[in-house]
Amino acid sequence: MRKTRLLFSLRKNPFLQSAVILIVFYYLRLPLLAAVGCDLNDPERDVKLLFPESTGFRTFYVSVAESGGPELLRQIEGRLKDKFSGLFETIDVPYTVYEIYQKNELIGYIHGVNQKGRYGGLQVFLALTPDGEIRGFYLQKFTGRGAKQFRAAEFANQFKSLRLGDFDNYNPAQGVEEPPGKISQIKNPVPEAVDDFRAILRAVKKNLILMEFLVFKKEIKAGPAPGSGP
Amino acid sequence: MNEKAKISMFTIAWKNLARKKTRSLLTAVGIGLATWVLISLFGFNHGYKKSLDRDIDSLGFQMLVVAKGCPYEAATLMLKGGTGLKYMKEDIVQQIISEKEVESITPMLMQVVFDPNKGQSGGLTAFLGIDPHTYPRIKPGLSFKQGSWFTEEDAREVVMGYEAAELEQREVGDFYLIPEKEVELKVVGILNRTGSQDDGTIFIPLRTLQQIFGMEGQLTSIGIKVDKNADLAQFEEKMLRLPDVQVVSLTQVKTTIMTLVSTARILVFSIALIAVLISVMGVINTVLMSVMERQKEIGILKAMGALRTDIFKLIWTETAILCFLGGAGGAFLAGLSSRVTEYLIRKLLPFSPSGGLVIIEARLIAMAITGVVLLGLVSGIYPALRASRLRPLEAIRTEEE
Repeated sequence: MRKTRLLFSLRKNPFLQSAVILIVFYYLRLPLLAAVGCDLNDPERDVKLLFPESTGFRTFYVSVAESGGPELLRQIEGRLKDKFSGLFETIDVPYTVYEIYQKNELIGYIHGVNQKGRYGGLQVFLALTPDGEIRGFYLQKFTGRGAKQFRAAEFANQFKSLRLGDFDNYNPAQGVEEPPGKISQIKNPVPEAVDDFRAILRAVKKNLILMEFLVFKKEIKAGPAPGSGP
Repeated sequence: MNEKAKISMFTIAWKNLARKKTRSLLTAVGIGLATWVLISLFGFNHGYKKSLDRDIDSLGFQMLVVAKGCPYEAATLMLKGGTGLKYMKEDIVQQIISEKEVESITPMLMQVVFDPNKGQSGGLTAFLGIDPHTYPRIKPGLSFKQGSWFTEEDAREVVMGYEAAELEQREVGDFYLIPEKEVELKVVGILNRTGSQDDGTIFIPLRTLQQIFGMEGQLTSIGIKVDKNADLAQFEEKMLRLPDVQVVSLTQVKTTIMTLVSTARILVFSIALIAVLISVMGVINTVLMSVMERQKEIGILKAMGALRTDIFKLIWTETAILCFLGGAGGAFLAGLSSRVTEYLIRKLLPFSPSGGLVIIEARLIAMAITGVVLLGLVSGIYPALRASRLRPLEAIRTEEE
């Protein structure tokens, strides 16, 4: 009996010491999640999935705070027709942009945004051509019902060839496009998860606007005040 | 007059060093690199210990009781997918709480689920079931950014650490869905950032988590806060007598980790010591060469009335300038590269606590520069003595020959 006790005594068993350290560090470290931001989990693999012809990529970071501050935020919200809201959709969020190359030629961008869904955070990535057309949609993270359908290729393919201009009449706050256009034609694969469907559309529009204002840097006049409708 | 003499001594020493720019620069760089390694190492020593202390203190308890079994296997299996967790019966809590050494106690249940919708190949999400009455008391340092702890002990509610909430974009009043189980919970609290493991934790009432996962009456661990006057070793022995449990004393864990880390540290300290010795030899060599090359000049200075002490001071000042510049450069480099050093250490070490691993404080920089200058002055004694002992006429003649 005493021997059994000794076997489990930390002081006398180096193997057990290491084992205990492992388990304690498991308790200490496992729940640690990645810091917020929207990075690809495995850039090498994910870039190849979205741009199979790519030979390399470059990463850079942009933020609304550094690119124009409150005035730029006002313009972005105006174009979005919705306010940036909540604890985590703030002016200083750093956005990671992946610039994709085939040899020395720029063939596109990948950019992701975090979006609040009904049950958790969504991470919506878009693969864009150099002039801002969607060529790929990737829902990296989804917490909620109907994840399989929202992450399916059939749903993703509906976003192909869309541009920011196609979203101009879509109001994410109300979840309607007036008059109906290309966005109204996007089918919700999980009708009972309408909140998450709207969240995805908002994320796509937000993603395209951020790319427009922070990367393409096109001259855009300030849109109408958020919530004022198209 | 004296003030003037001091200034001119420094100016002469500086000009002497400037005459052989490359050699002086290389010597200073050598000293700088040695100082950089030294400061980074001492900074790591201080930072690692501080972060480990904070991580362990943030647990709020000094002892963790887990189910008996091979913890190594359990940890590995957990890391591989949440299977293989060892459980113990909840009634053990009553046995532990009756011990006089126990100040407070908190039972916990950890459950891990595989979420296939996290990234391309899925990922793990961990939940910590806690007792709403005892856990907040054992960890009074936790404060809320929004909301508060659970309303009832079996409430369908969740409290999220700051980073967990940030990742899931949750706020108080939102819903959270447990993957696999499809159970809906209401977010009632978001914790403030703590810089510890709590930032990424998703807390659920113990009873609720037990119900959701069908683990009624089961626990994975019990945190024990021991009375500060109690004999920890004796209490640990007592805990070991309980059936089917394993006791983890966090003080021991800390000591063991520090012992493991110190092995690597001693090795690097040895390398740093060699680097320091090499740079000291470099200083002696540089200053000695400078003395040999300037024999005639030193001879003329002495012929003009310079005392032995003046020559000694001049050579020593040159050494001090070299060492100070090298030391300051090394300190600057250490400060500048501390984040890179930290990143590399995290990559190399199997276990590293959260928070800063390399802490470089002003006191450490001051001590390192002072130490390097003092060491330099010691190494400059021989060349300075040799210069001061030169006989003027011999010195002038030797160089002419």
